[in-house]
Amino acid sequence: MSFLIVGLVLVLLALRLWRYRRRRRRTDGAPKPLWLGPYAGDVAMISAREIRERLRGRVLRVGTVIILGVIAAAIVIPVLDKSSGSTAERVGVVGQATALQKGLIKASANEVGVSYRLFPEPSVTAARARLQAGNLDLVIVEASSLVVPTTISPTDGSSSAQLVEAIAKNLGIAKALADLGITSSQASSVLSAKPLRVVALQHGPAPKSPVHSVSVFGLIIVFVMLSQYNTWILIGVMEEKSSRVVEVLLAAVRPMQLLAGKVLGIGLVAFAQATLILAFALALGKAVGSSFLQGSAPAALAATFLWLVLGYAFYCWVYAAAGSTVERQDQVQSLVFPLSLPIIFGYIMALTAVTSGSASELFKVLAYLPPTAPFAMPVLVGFGEVTWWEFAGSALISIGCTVLVAKLATSIYRRAILRTGRRVHLRELLASPSR
Amino acid sequence: MPAQLEIQGLSRRFGEIHALDDLTFTVPAGKVVGFLGPNGAGKTTTMRAIFGLVDLDGGGVRWDGQPVDQAARRRFGYMPEERGLYPGMLVGDQVEYLGRLHGMAPSDAMHAAATWLEQLGIASRSRSKLEALSHGNQQRVQLACALVHGPEMLILDEPLAGLDPPGIDAIGAVLKDQARSGTCVLFSSHQLDQVESLCEEVVIIDHGRLVTAGGVDELATSGSNRLVVRVEEDRDGAWARGLPGATVSEIAGGEVRLELGEGADPQQVLRAAMRAGTVTEFVLERRRLSEVFREAVT
Repeated sequence: MSFLIVGLVLVLLALRLWRYRRRRRRTDGAPKPLWLGPYAGDVAMISAREIRERLRGRVLRVGTVIILGVIAAAIVIPVLDKSSGSTAERVGVVGQATALQKGLIKASANEVGVSYRLFPEPSVTAARARLQAGNLDLVIVEASSLVVPTTISPTDGSSSAQLVEAIAKNLGIAKALADLGITSSQASSVLSAKPLRVVALQHGPAPKSPVHSVSVFGLIIVFVMLSQYNTWILIGVMEEKSSRVVEVLLAAVRPMQLLAGKVLGIGLVAFAQATLILAFALALGKAVGSSFLQGSAPAALAATFLWLVLGYAFYCWVYAAAGSTVERQDQVQSLVFPLSLPIIFGYIMALTAVTSGSASELFKVLAYLPPTAPFAMPVLVGFGEVTWWEFAGSALISIGCTVLVAKLATSIYRRAILRTGRRVHLRELLASPSR
Repeated sequence: MPAQLEIQGLSRRFGEIHALDDLTFTVPAGKVVGFLGPNGAGKTTTMRAIFGLVDLDGGGVRWDGQPVDQAARRRFGYMPEERGLYPGMLVGDQVEYLGRLHGMAPSDAMHAAATWLEQLGIASRSRSKLEALSHGNQQRVQLACALVHGPEMLILDEPLAGLDPPGIDAIGAVLKDQARSGTCVLFSSHQLDQVESLCEEVVIIDHGRLVTAGGVDELATSGSNRLVVRVEEDRDGAWARGLPGATVSEIAGGEVRLELGEGADPQQVLRAAMRAGTVTEFVLERRRLSEVFREAVT
């Protein structure tokens, strides 16, 4: 919790500093130097402008704060819920409990996964009174019956209900054994018997573990961020076309430089945001002791981040080329859905695989196709069903296809960006050899 | 020899339309040259071709004897017909950014941006977003962006469109200053009176072809001489009918316009007018650029 407070204070301080600097700038009439960073060249200059304008915009700051809030809630709430549910069950005992009975109560609690405390009660009446007052959760009377405050529904899955059921069953078996004349030590041996070995004909789905929650978290992050950042690209290119500034820019730089600077600038802002979110999630998870980072979860998270980069690199060119064919917001709307179909498809397939706990053959194929690999490959990593060379192979395929897509996108951009007045259709661009 | 822009045999077809049809002309440095033509004549396509924004079917563009490449284009300034800058970006940052894209060092770009905004009278709006400025001031910012890097050549497509008279005067003064300092200035406009007062030379094209080119004075004094005569006692111009070598082209408000043919003598016309009554006006009229233009493109 202290981590949350520190984080909140840091965010507030950053906002104060930003507002202070903005006020200073407003009151100073002289133009300030445009910070272009340590990079040389036109692409770096164009990227620097994109970064500066994005950081100046409110959308990024508000969006980041909202995402951080949602992630904090997703990590902290389960921990709080678990800790609040771990209060020891208070078990009243009327009569002298034998070692066997105490052992069975302990075994029952372990079976359910709860802690408990035993309270010797002098009489049934006193025990009932304490139960009624809420000082006990259940009472065991002479190891022959159990008393609870209210009737337990068969559908009640709470830990208290499960404990009552387990104790009732185990003490019932002990009583039956005693009725058959079996001694306490014999009964103890029977009740603590080692289970038989179970042999399966084939491997079933892997048991659910924290890596599944990491996979779901990663999928959501990849889906949201790919959709958001690519839409930024689409709208950014469209705005340069509709404002006609692109003609002034292309008089000084080449189309490839302009496009590369734009996708690089937006990409850097995007990954700074993604890194912040990831670092925040990891630090918060560690601080509150979440089970989030156990097992192969760190590897799955690293794979998610890498595929977010590769996915952005692939899709940004597609969206940039699409943006160059339109110049109005309504035209953008008609493009967004068809463009996002591969992303939605990959996301749904990956989510289905995670929830079912297994990867189909189709899903394994999707992990090698650049449009769906950003979703499928991190899930396979989470399942532990992919070797390093399969992972590298998929990444190389994605990089190779990205180069081809970038070339095609630049060609489309070059032909479409100065055509104004109406939406330019792909077949017109492919039919005309030049602009 | 001063540098000059050479447009050499530019050709470009859009389907069945010849946007440029073997267009050839030159623009010398140090002069303001007007680029005229009716709508659809190919002016914008020519200007875009200079900046490599149109793929040509034939021909080429040379500057100072060399083919124009990307490095040369960075030394040119451009103001396209469809104005455009980033609406949400601060004016000062915007001018400075364009200077940097044209190869200026950061400190030089910052200094030049401040200087040009000052010179164009919009220094106080340096920290405003472009979209907050009036149309006229946005046009000045656009001009500052074209000038900030000290270009060797200025290509301006309709720089005077939509401006009020003070705006036209301000931009006109800048163009003249630039030309005087050795810059090659080519600008298109449909405001022919403004072109006449600003330009020393004009290039007129139509249907993608060169129609005529030359000095404004030379074009204005070319062709037949024209006389404007007013005779108070004969406001219908009956005295002018049948004069040898002279044709009445217009009679309006008591003024008679006469086109003088080869060998016609203005003194003979004056004597005929004086015989008809009191001559209160006798002017050898210079052709206006608008007339040269109409004759050229019809």
